[in-house]
Amino acid sequence: MLNVNQINSILIIGFAGGLAQALTNLLLKTYPNIKVTGIDSRDLSKFEETDNLKLFRIKYSRSNFEKIFRGHKFDVVYHLGRLSHAYPKANVLERADINVVGTQRIMELSLRFGVKKVVVLSTYHVYGAFPDNPIFLPETAPLRASFKYPELHDVVEMDQGTAGFMWRYHDQIETVIFRPCNIIGHNIRNVMCSYLMTPYAIVPSDFKPMFQFIHESDMTRILLRSLENVPGGVYNVAPRDTISMPKAKKLLGGEYFKAPISLVQPLARFVRWPGRLPQYLFDYLKYSCVVSTEELDKHLGPRFCHYSTREAVAKLLDETAHG
Amino acid sequence: MALKKIIKDLAKTKPDRKFVLTYRILRQRYPSGEDSWGLDLQFLRKIFVKVWPFYRHYFKVRVFGEEHVPEKGAIVATSNHTGQIALDGALVTMAFFSDIKSPRILRPMVERFVYKTPFVGAWVAALGGILGDRRNCMALLKQGEAVLIFPEGVRGIAKSTSEFYQLQPFGLGFFRMALEAECDILPIAVVGAEEFYPYTYQARWLAKRLKLPCFPITANLLPLPSPVDIYIGKPYSVPKDLSKDASDAAIAKHVRKIEDQIKQMIQEGLEKRRPFALAKRIPGDAERQSN
Repeated sequence: MLNVNQINSILIIGFAGGLAQALTNLLLKTYPNIKVTGIDSRDLSKFEETDNLKLFRIKYSRSNFEKIFRGHKFDVVYHLGRLSHAYPKANVLERADINVVGTQRIMELSLRFGVKKVVVLSTYHVYGAFPDNPIFLPETAPLRASFKYPELHDVVEMDQGTAGFMWRYHDQIETVIFRPCNIIGHNIRNVMCSYLMTPYAIVPSDFKPMFQFIHESDMTRILLRSLENVPGGVYNVAPRDTISMPKAKKLLGGEYFKAPISLVQPLARFVRWPGRLPQYLFDYLKYSCVVSTEELDKHLGPRFCHYSTREAVAKLLDETAHG
Repeated sequence: MALKKIIKDLAKTKPDRKFVLTYRILRQRYPSGEDSWGLDLQFLRKIFVKVWPFYRHYFKVRVFGEEHVPEKGAIVATSNHTGQIALDGALVTMAFFSDIKSPRILRPMVERFVYKTPFVGAWVAALGGILGDRRNCMALLKQGEAVLIFPEGVRGIAKSTSEFYQLQPFGLGFFRMALEAECDILPIAVVGAEEFYPYTYQARWLAKRLKLPCFPITANLLPLPSPVDIYIGKPYSVPKDLSKDASDAAIAKHVRKIEDQIKQMIQEGLEKRRPFALAKRIPGDAERQSN
C-alpha cells in the first residue's frame, strides 16, 4: 500500500467540480509539501494558482493531455472528471469520448508515466434501479444500469473498463474505484442535490424506495484517506442508514407534491416542472438501489462517514440556509 | 349487505391498550421510524389500527404458543400458506405485533411482482414486507430481525376447495438461510384462512395465459369471517454441524421434519377449531377492550 511520504505530486482531473476543489483544499492543508495539479475542460480562470497548485484547462481525451503527464511526475491521479449523465447537454458520443475514451487514456498514461495510484470516482448508478434489487448491493452485483437506459452505457463502460484495467495491471499500479451513493452538499451541483433542494418537486406516491446520501465533506475525507488506507479494488461508499424521499423532503422543510410517478414519468418527456429529472432517474425514485459498504468498512472502519444520511440531509439544509 | 354492515361497524372500533404499548416499544427499536427495506412505522400503525378490529372481531384470531417466540434475535418463521389472497401473512404479522408479549415485526418475504406494482409494492414494504431474495433476507437476519417465509410459495395459496389444508412440498431455501444465519426456525400453522373463500376454483390455464402467478375464481369477493387460529410451534434448532452448502438430500431430511410438525399442528388445529358460523367472541376480549 502507498505511503503518503512517497507522494510528491498529485493530479486532480475535473478540478472545476465542487468535490475536486474541496479535496484540493483538504490535500493542501493536510500535506503542505505535496504539489497539486488540477485540470478540467471547463473554464478555470476563476480559480487562483499558488506555489503548490497549478491549473490547466484541457480536454483529457486530446493528445496534448500527454504533455501534462510528461511534464510532471505524478504519484497519484484522482479522476473526478466524469461528465454527468444527468442532462443530455452533451450528446452520447461526446460523453463516450470524455467518459470512456478519456478515462482509458488517463489509465494508460498513468501506467506509462509511473503513477503509483489512481483513484476513480464512479457512481452507484451503475447498478441500476430495479424492483428486484436486494437491499445492500455488494460490489460484485451486476452492473445493469444500461440494460434499460442506453444513456447510462458510458457510465457503466467507464466503470467496467477501469475495473478491467485494475485487474490487468494490479502488479504495476494501484487502482481504486469508488461507487458513491448520492453525494450532496453546498458545493455539489448534481441532479439529486438540486432535486432535493427544489421546492414543489414531485415525490412519488406510488413507490417508496430508500436512499443513501453522503455529505461532500465525508466523500472528500474518504478520497483523502484512500491515499494510504484503501488498497486497490472496487468500493461502494455510503453511510449506513437510509431515508425515504418524503422523509428527506420533510427534513429539508420545503413543499413538495406527491404524485404517482407511473403517470408522471411518461408525461415528463413533454412537460417541464420544477426539479425536472432525466428519464432514467425516475427509476431511482421508484426502486431502491441501496449499496453495501462492507468492503470499505474493512479498511476505513465501520464509521468512516462522519454524517449519517439523515445528518447529511440536515446539513445540506443548514448550509443552504447560511449561504 | 350484512357483511358490509359488519365491516363498517368494525372499522370504527379502536384498538386495545396493548396495541398502543406495542407501538411504543417498536418506536424505541426503530428510532427513525424507517429501515432500509422500506418499513414505515407510522404507516404501519395507521394501517394496523384499521386492520386490528378485523383481526380481533372479524377473523377472531387466537394465538397459541406465543411462549415459543424469542424476545430478540434472528428467527426464520415458516408457515403454511392459505386463503387465496395471502391474508394469512397479514394476520400472522399482526399476531406478532399485537398478541406476543415482546412484540416483533415479522418481515414476510414477498413475491417479486409485488414490488413492480405501483402503490402495492410501496405499501407492502412500509408494512414490513421484503423482496423474496435470499441476499435481502440474509441481510435482515444479520440485523437480528424475524423473517416470515411461506416455503410453499404461491402453490400454497393457489388451491381449489378440494385441496384445502393439503400442505404443498416445502422449498429448501428457508432452511439454508437459517443455517447460514445460524438461527432457529419457528414453525407456524394457520387454521381457518382457507375458508375465507370456501368455494374456489383455481383457473391455472387462465393464470398461465395472463402470466399471473394464480387466478382464483371464488364464490365471494370479500373474505368470509372464518375464525382463525395461529399455532406457533417449538423452535427447530438447525444442526450446528450441517453446512449451508450441504446436499439437498441432507437439508430435505430436516425440512420434512418441519413440514411434519406444521402438518401435525394443522391437524390438531382443525380438530379444535371453532365452528365457522357460530364463532364466539374471544374470551377476555371485553377486559382487553376496557383496558
